[in-house]
Amino acid sequence: MTLQLILLIGFGGAIVTYFAGKISSKLREIFAVIISLLLVGMVIYTYGRYSQEILKIGFLDFEIVFTLNRLSCLFAFAITVIGALSIIFSLSYIKGKERSDFYYLMMLLVNASMIGIVFSGDLISFYIFWEIMSWSAFLLISYTRGNALPAGMKYIIMSIIGSAAYLLGISLIYTNYGTLTISEIVPFIASASPNYILFLLILFFIAFGIKNAVLPFHTWLPPAHSEAPSPFSAILSGILVRMGMYGFLLILYIIVGLKNFIVLGKGIYSFHYILAWIGAINIVIPTFIAMLQNDSKRLLAWHGVGQGGYMVLGIALGTNLGVAGGIFHIFNHTSYIALLFLVVGAIEYRTNGVRNLNSLGGLIKKMPVTFIGALIGSFGLIGIPLTNGFVSKWLIYKSLILEGYPFLAFAALIGTWGTILSLYKFIHNIFLGQLPQKYENIKKAPFSMQLPLIILSTIIILFGILPGIPLKFINNIGISFGLKSLNVNIWGITSETGTLNTLNIFFALLVACIVVWLFFKIGKKSRKVSQEDNYAAGAHIPVEKYHYTVDFYAPLYKMISKYLKDIVDIFYYWIAGIVESLCNVVRKIYSGDIGTYVGYILLFLAVLIYIYLG
Amino acid sequence: MMIKIIEIIALPLIAFIIGIFFMGLARKIMARIHWRYGPPIFQPIIDMIKLLNQKSVSHGFIFDFGIIFSLAGTIVLILFIPFAKISPLSNSGGLLVILYLMLIAPLGLAISGGEAANPNTSIGISRKFILALGYEVPFILIILAVMKSFHSISLIHIVNTQQAGNWSIFSSVPLFLAGVAYFLILPAMLGLRPFDMVTAPQEISSGPKVEYGGKYLALISIEHALTLYISLALFVDLFLGGASNLIIFFIKILVVFIIGIFINAVFPRLRIEQAVKYLWGFPTLIALVGLILTTII
Repeated sequence: MTLQLILLIGFGGAIVTYFAGKISSKLREIFAVIISLLLVGMVIYTYGRYSQEILKIGFLDFEIVFTLNRLSCLFAFAITVIGALSIIFSLSYIKGKERSDFYYLMMLLVNASMIGIVFSGDLISFYIFWEIMSWSAFLLISYTRGNALPAGMKYIIMSIIGSAAYLLGISLIYTNYGTLTISEIVPFIASASPNYILFLLILFFIAFGIKNAVLPFHTWLPPAHSEAPSPFSAILSGILVRMGMYGFLLILYIIVGLKNFIVLGKGIYSFHYILAWIGAINIVIPTFIAMLQNDSKRLLAWHGVGQGGYMVLGIALGTNLGVAGGIFHIFNHTSYIALLFLVVGAIEYRTNGVRNLNSLGGLIKKMPVTFIGALIGSFGLIGIPLTNGFVSKWLIYKSLILEGYPFLAFAALIGTWGTILSLYKFIHNIFLGQLPQKYENIKKAPFSMQLPLIILSTIIILFGILPGIPLKFINNIGISFGLKSLNVNIWGITSETGTLNTLNIFFALLVACIVVWLFFKIGKKSRKVSQEDNYAAGAHIPVEKYHYTVDFYAPLYKMISKYLKDIVDIFYYWIAGIVESLCNVVRKIYSGDIGTYVGYILLFLAVLIYIYLG
Repeated sequence: MMIKIIEIIALPLIAFIIGIFFMGLARKIMARIHWRYGPPIFQPIIDMIKLLNQKSVSHGFIFDFGIIFSLAGTIVLILFIPFAKISPLSNSGGLLVILYLMLIAPLGLAISGGEAANPNTSIGISRKFILALGYEVPFILIILAVMKSFHSISLIHIVNTQQAGNWSIFSSVPLFLAGVAYFLILPAMLGLRPFDMVTAPQEISSGPKVEYGGKYLALISIEHALTLYISLALFVDLFLGGASNLIIFFIKILVVFIIGIFINAVFPRLRIEQAVKYLWGFPTLIALVGLILTTII
């Protein structure tokens, strides 16, 4: 009953919150926060109580099955935590904006539907929750209207294509096996022919790949992420997009099973190898495109695409290290990308919606907590040791090297440098350098915005120093997929071919920092100076113009920007253009003039008579 | 346990002494090549003591923290790289950890320099990152070739295998190519002569260093000395078989360094685009051929 109760609270709470908003906005906010926190508590309660619940529905004799296994428990935890933090962040962000009742309704609906997806034990209820999620996400993306409308349209059109592929896939399963309950499909698939499995996998790859923004289905993501309200961008990039990864894990490891998909195809044409290469390309190109962006959210959005590549690469390998790394990376990505989007949200909130990286600067002195959040988030995204992002990347790299895929490893490693370059630009242009005069009186972010930032930063560092806490759980998921167990310790992983001990690194770095700091203290005390007290070769410091931001990596841009066009997007627009002109031709037939229509009828009759007589 | 603690304290000190000695030596050799007399070899130490007693300015918390963090990261990195047989932390992580710990130093300096709010700093950092992207492409290919050949990500394992057999640079064609490529990018990693556009004094007032004075500059000199040691030690560990005792290890890094200096003393400074084009040209090609050969053999 617990699972149904959670969903009931999720969906019912969303509607209650909406109507509470009609009474007073205070009541609505209290409801929204309580419900989102209640969901976190209930999901924690389900930990370890893995079960299956069946709900009979008279309609078409379908059974609705809810299951809870380790994988869905982990995902549900991430969904509810990110959901709650975004709701708390929204309290100030959305205050005073119009249609905020509707905003909270949609936020809670998206949350509830994602929980529904991970709890569904059959493919039809999965589909229902999937569609609720897609549509409420669409309404939230286009919430601010204006530029957000075309971004939302692009998203929903691609989502519908994905849903169509999904429907085709499940109707194929249903006509063959007569059931859509996942646990009942598994034995049938085990005896199916490889070609049939391959066809199914390609269909589901399209369905989940679009949501997961895997190349070549990524084009909806950058505009959608940058136009959505920032707290929702955090959910969107952090976990909603990763529902696609949940779909991949479900179809590859639960429905089809490791034994069956790893043998598809031969040599370099094998399914999992091609999937791994898609992941690798997905890392390199988007991270380098991110470097060219001048819009802070668009920059992060491209990283959302790029980091998805690491996850696909990890789970495509089918080794215990790779899968653990891939799953761990999903949750690490959730923590730091949500953190970074919330940082941008806080900046937007204080500067009245400025996202242009070329018109900010020097905010570190005004918003220190936000800066620390941005720094830790960036370190996580880059994968600096002692952040959780490092551990998951380490697992993936190690797996790639030991399995003998050095070129895949190269793609993954060089992606790190694309990340460093673009994120340094992100931090530098927003927080470092000279503070423009118009931001002289800017206040720091309100507490309800700082709290989510602090919690997420803590998670990143904690799981970076003690990665064993989540890894033990993830290791059990891997075992349930039929993989060999990893030798996990609280501080990392032990093995003959290379051990990782993050706790030792942490203490070494801590001691080294203290020693250097003491040495630093011995030297003469330094004098604090203002930003205007600066070296300018003896010249007067030009106010407002002493900040190097525009074209931060100009020499590099010149070299590489011509190779970094989003060809896929251009191609889709080309197809859209052709469809539009075709439709225009068809439209010309319907001229709206009665005379023409009479002419068509006469022409048609004449043809009929001609055929009849001839 | 006791021995380990002594090793942990001693290793960064040894690295510092070697690094600072090499910096002095480099100036002397450069001067002789340029037909000058040159400063005494221990000049960098004199400079450092002088700097510690000089006044300095600070632009804020991150300005201080970044530089401390950067130097701390470098010190930790030294503990992972075997110096002859001494490598106190090598069982906590292998080459992948080294690869990522190498990021701390430039990033720490970059955030510290960023708060200085001086465009010269920003331009210097921008150049540094572009240059880093330039040499990381061949560098990652080289490291991967080594890890693939030895089928291990543990540096101590790689050194021990070489001790038992042949130096890896002479053991197979792909590793020879990787070694050559490493030697070609070494000056770029160290920011030596043709690749000193990051700190070009005549163009951007020493770039990232422009706002630093006094003890900040002293910390940067220490950092520079340690980085010098790290790049050379890594080369010797990966390709020249490490060493069974301290003196042989020292001689090996000294020889590599002097050869490097002789080659690089005669080149004029490149522009950043030229540097990247060079790095993505021959060194990358050689490293790539090496990596392809490792997968075939």
